[in-house]
Amino acid sequence: MAHHPRENWNPARRRRVYTRRDFLQRAAVLGIAVPVIPSILAACGDRGGAGAAELAIGTPSNPVQQPLFEGNEAIESGLEAEDGPLQIYNWADYLSPDIIPVAEETLGVDIEIATFFNEEEALARLSSGEVAYDVWFPTSQRVPVAVAAELIQPLNHDYLPNLETNVWPQLADPYYDQGSRYSVPYVTYTTGIAWRTDMADSADIEGQENPWDVFWNPKYGGQLGLYDSFTDTIALALLRNGVVDPSQATEDELAAAGDALVELVDLVDVRYTIDGAYVGIPEGRFALHHAWSGDLVNSQYYWPEDGDYTVTRYLWPASGDGSTAHGPISSDTMAVPVNATRPVLAHQFMNFMLDESNALENFGWVGYQPPQINLTPDYLVDEEWVAEFLRSALVTPEDFERDSAWVQGPLDAETEALWSEQWTRATSGG
Amino acid sequence: MPTNLASGAEYDTVGHRRWVWPAFAIPGVLWLSLLFLVPFYAIFAVAMGRIDPILLRPVPEWNPFYWDPSVFARVLGDLFGGQVGVVAMRTIGYVFVASALCLLIGYPVAYFVSRKAGKWRWVWLLLILAPFWINYLMRMMSWVNLLSPDGQVNQVLATLGVTALPEWLSGQHFVVILGLVYGYIPFFILPLFAALDRIDDATLEAARDLGASNLETFWRVTWPLSRNGVLGGLVIIMLPMFGDYYTPNLLSGSPRTRMIGNTIDQFINQTTSQGSVGAALTIILMIFVAGLMVYYLYNINRSTQEARR
Repeated sequence: MAHHPRENWNPARRRRVYTRRDFLQRAAVLGIAVPVIPSILAACGDRGGAGAAELAIGTPSNPVQQPLFEGNEAIESGLEAEDGPLQIYNWADYLSPDIIPVAEETLGVDIEIATFFNEEEALARLSSGEVAYDVWFPTSQRVPVAVAAELIQPLNHDYLPNLETNVWPQLADPYYDQGSRYSVPYVTYTTGIAWRTDMADSADIEGQENPWDVFWNPKYGGQLGLYDSFTDTIALALLRNGVVDPSQATEDELAAAGDALVELVDLVDVRYTIDGAYVGIPEGRFALHHAWSGDLVNSQYYWPEDGDYTVTRYLWPASGDGSTAHGPISSDTMAVPVNATRPVLAHQFMNFMLDESNALENFGWVGYQPPQINLTPDYLVDEEWVAEFLRSALVTPEDFERDSAWVQGPLDAETEALWSEQWTRATSGG
Repeated sequence: MPTNLASGAEYDTVGHRRWVWPAFAIPGVLWLSLLFLVPFYAIFAVAMGRIDPILLRPVPEWNPFYWDPSVFARVLGDLFGGQVGVVAMRTIGYVFVASALCLLIGYPVAYFVSRKAGKWRWVWLLLILAPFWINYLMRMMSWVNLLSPDGQVNQVLATLGVTALPEWLSGQHFVVILGLVYGYIPFFILPLFAALDRIDDATLEAARDLGASNLETFWRVTWPLSRNGVLGGLVIIMLPMFGDYYTPNLLSGSPRTRMIGNTIDQFINQTTSQGSVGAALTIILMIFVAGLMVYYLYNINRSTQEARR
């Protein structure tokens, strides 16, 4: 592969990029995740689930510090870095292939990357204890889960000087993990609506009191898609129905959200995809799609040669003019698994990624925005890393503090069962 | 011949030690227990185990003494009257229509290749099988390209002057069925080819000599003699079709064409706190397809016994 999307970045010379990334994403759609039987075998033993720690779940208005556990201590300061190779465990294509050689040179070791298709798979493998990765990329909502399950180790900030100097203070000391005890921020994103101005009427989305409602507009029948991701999509239906905090939705609200999604099958012939925002929109398969902001920034590399990428738009309903709707915002992190064999190297790698120019270079390929103080939306637009018409896909620290922001958190078992029930209804097409 | 042949229990009638022939079963037995019985037991252990409250993942319960079968009541409730039942009925419908189409299309093909193609039969067989050396997913992705709104099929239609171009990939039942037929039909043709190939020409000539017409010969001789091949082919294609989930994923993506494999996949890979529901559903699906298998074996057994009489 080694096809770097930024090679095509010159808008005049854009080529169609149909690469391994695309294949991997499609493979992900197919759910070709390998079930890990040994991990199931390893998980036997303690019956009854006693001693299960409580999750410490924070929000911007109510931040939490993750608990420390005996026997799970941060590494000492001033240690020599271990020998390579550094083992990284990440989503597919979530690190620029151009930044890896730079990191290898800087750290003086080889880097090996293993990937997971979804976080459930990652948690399964890490909790089996049979894999030992040095750096893992959990979403911020899974950090409390990973801490409670003792999958990740506390960090020693002596190795992470870039955290304090470069990262937004709001995420250098984040609500989900005060003091960045266990994690450092990697990228941040909102979840909203992507559309093409040549296929959809912007007035149906911008300036609307409830932009989410556009997915229920029969005008776009057969041309719209939502993410095949139950947490995102049930949340979308709840937000569209006016629920302010989807994590706290009642059973009735969830049933109504399920009804709303069932309605979409006949009303607009909804499609559930994972690649719809960054591949489906450029291909013209969709006029509008549920979108993570980073997917949309990345979509510019997926336009066909004769396509006009300037028709792309993104709206995060929580910040739309005249919108009273709420919208999801979240961030992903880097952490060191508890059984990492090269923890010092892992810290050095994370510090490397928190370096401004490395973060920027990585952003150019990944499309997901690093929460760096100097990489403001103005800078990214002025320097043409992001087109002006996609400025709305960029996140500011203040976005986390908006009343209309819904900061995604983890679900507990009972809540997930209720969400799952509605998701089964929504996807059965009855 | 060894002299001790008649005397001892140590040797069988051909003079081999008694353990020699059963020993050939060892690899098969190991294979079955390692790759079938153990995973099968694991599915039961997941279905009737518990859920880890932090990781929201199923924790298998290996000791049957602690098994909690309540999940089956829930799954049966979902199947009879719930949304999962809708998906299950749809799956059964797809599989039966696709199998019927495989029979209609595959039988004449197998018949022609085995009985009419003469010395070119192996070439024909090769041509039929060649596309299937390519991975199933790749072939389905080619269909996606062919059938996409600006794909080759619609381009041809457009050149022919068709203005209302069909949206093949917009959640159409028949497109998913087409994918299933295309994907599995060689596995139907092959056993049928073998069965038709085995029919002795003399039996057909005898039928003709006794005054049967072409149609009668087919209906009263060829068809009954190929019936086991048809049944075998149908079983071979129906079993994997019931578990298929990537064909509807690729060729539609709409909830309207979900199959039961998609539902199981979702329970196990997405809403992992429902993993035990997915495992229970897997077991119920297995019992259902085992029923088909038993019917097939019963038929084979009966016809073998009839042949012996």
